[in-house]
Amino acid sequence: MMAAFLTGIGWVTGAGFGTGRQGGDCSFPELPLPSLTRKDVFPEPNQRFGRMSDYAKLGLAATAFALRDAGLEAWSEKRPIGVVASTRFGCLATDLDYHGTVQLQGGGLASPNLFAYTLANCFLGDAAIQFGLTGSSVAINESGEDRLGALRLALEALLMGEADTMLAGVCDLPAPRRYAGETGQAPGAAFLVLTLAAPAAPAPYGSVALAGGDGGVLFNGSPQVGLQQLIDSALAGRTAR
Amino acid sequence: MIEACITAAQTVTGLGPDLESLWRGCLAGESAIRPLNRFATGRYLSGNASCVDGLEAAGGSRLYPLLERLLDGFPAVPRDCLLITASTKGCVDVMETVQELGAGAPGQVPMADLLRRISERFGLGAPALNINAACASSTIAVARAAALIAAGRSEAVLVVCMDLVSEFVFSGFSALQALSPGVCRPFDRNRDGLTLGEGGAALLLMSRERAAREGRPELGVVAGWGAANDATHITAPARDGCGLIQSVRQALCRAAIEPGEIAAISAHGTATPYNDLMELTAFGAVFGGRRLPVHSVKGSIGHTLGAAGGIEVALGLRCLEAGTLPPTVGLREPEEMGEGAVSCSAQPIRGRYLLSTNSGFGGVNAALILRQGGV
Repeated sequence: MMAAFLTGIGWVTGAGFGTGRQGGDCSFPELPLPSLTRKDVFPEPNQRFGRMSDYAKLGLAATAFALRDAGLEAWSEKRPIGVVASTRFGCLATDLDYHGTVQLQGGGLASPNLFAYTLANCFLGDAAIQFGLTGSSVAINESGEDRLGALRLALEALLMGEADTMLAGVCDLPAPRRYAGETGQAPGAAFLVLTLAAPAAPAPYGSVALAGGDGGVLFNGSPQVGLQQLIDSALAGRTAR
Repeated sequence: MIEACITAAQTVTGLGPDLESLWRGCLAGESAIRPLNRFATGRYLSGNASCVDGLEAAGGSRLYPLLERLLDGFPAVPRDCLLITASTKGCVDVMETVQELGAGAPGQVPMADLLRRISERFGLGAPALNINAACASSTIAVARAAALIAAGRSEAVLVVCMDLVSEFVFSGFSALQALSPGVCRPFDRNRDGLTLGEGGAALLLMSRERAAREGRPELGVVAGWGAANDATHITAPARDGCGLIQSVRQALCRAAIEPGEIAAISAHGTATPYNDLMELTAFGAVFGGRRLPVHSVKGSIGHTLGAAGGIEVALGLRCLEAGTLPPTVGLREPEEMGEGAVSCSAQPIRGRYLLSTNSGFGGVNAALILRQGGV
């Protein structure tokens, strides 16, 4: 069984935003998400950030924090790092905003800028540009409830030798009114950085692996029931070290 | 490495209710692109699309009758089969109805509902997932299915790909000035944009051993796959084709073959000025001066978005079986870099391997290498 090293954790949730090594916990309370400004995410000016949809800002911020935590934010040459993002509602909030423009004057005022953000994978393109990531980048929707689907796909890509480093996580805005249903999932985004080789620094949080054929995910050899437990386990180990 | 065989393939497109009608229509140079009557198009750049005849939204989305047609008659799948779907906008028509009329079932909008419906139809119990990688969604879905089998993590994976023609998407491509005012002309010197289409594809992938054990036919093999991001622009392709080049090279490496063994290419070929030039640039970088037969199906059935790659895989299997690449419908005068490669006539395929590529928003590129079945 091949394992990957968990080297970075970043999040934006109703409890705030942060990185694993900054301290704090990554929890997903039913609270409004913080309104992110460019300065919250990037120290340098970033012309694109202000034009992005809220969904794209959320996802980009969490990937930025995860890469920063792993010491991989800075780059000079593009890198074959892949990203998998799991989402339940994706860019539905942007879809509704865009659809509002379609309803004006028989579609004559449909917004091209908004339309560009009406795909669930759109922020992965922003992340690829911002951080020079040339690996495969996909958004997924899962039927399961454990929110580990992105992690499974990322581990499989590592296992197959498709990449040496993968980002995997979840990204969801609050469900728009009418569409919420019984999700049982609070909004927010969290991404993990997985690498095949142990980095010299910073020290990894631990190892993540796929169990046998049942699709289970192990952290330091222990089965995890969901993404929240895996992140909690990793952050708990942080204090133990 | 365990080989992933495709044991069943089916399509529903504007050219007909099955793969055979798609194949015959393409071979005859037919186009299903017609004037749209699903919604008013007066304020848009185009009034044309390729729609599946007779899709009614009874009970929710037009996607449901499309799936019924696609999956009716599809061979039974094993209960331990995993399900991967590919769609960019799923039941987007339900969202339109909810927003415009305050009617409809909002619970049908998240993709989890479609995953549940398809899983229940086949009695599949394992968690399923939908891939959204823009217009490369189903190419990547097939790649993930092949990877699961290759790694020994599953013996069977069902891939279901689908997307609709909706005003939501139509208006967006119009606003981006990406629609052809007439009908699309892939790889033509005077191409002026894409034409949208709708459709679906279902593909059952199995390990060779499992397929043999169950007496399933081997229509073809997914010999290689690759995916890469341009990391240059959100909606436009990289002009140097860097992401597509990387994807094709990954696929060649995975298939353990040389570029010279690729006999034909099923290209994305949307007929936008930038996409087609990018693809020809990438193919030139990988294959050098060798002019391979290149085909785009978009002139026949439009650009079916998240379903495109799956439909093109199914069609690609028929091409390999027949040893023939259909004509590229809409093509009149080839783009200079495509001369001797793209054709408005059918072309022979002299070899066992076909490369199938797709690219999309978000800088996504993906490539599959199919090998002729039973060889």
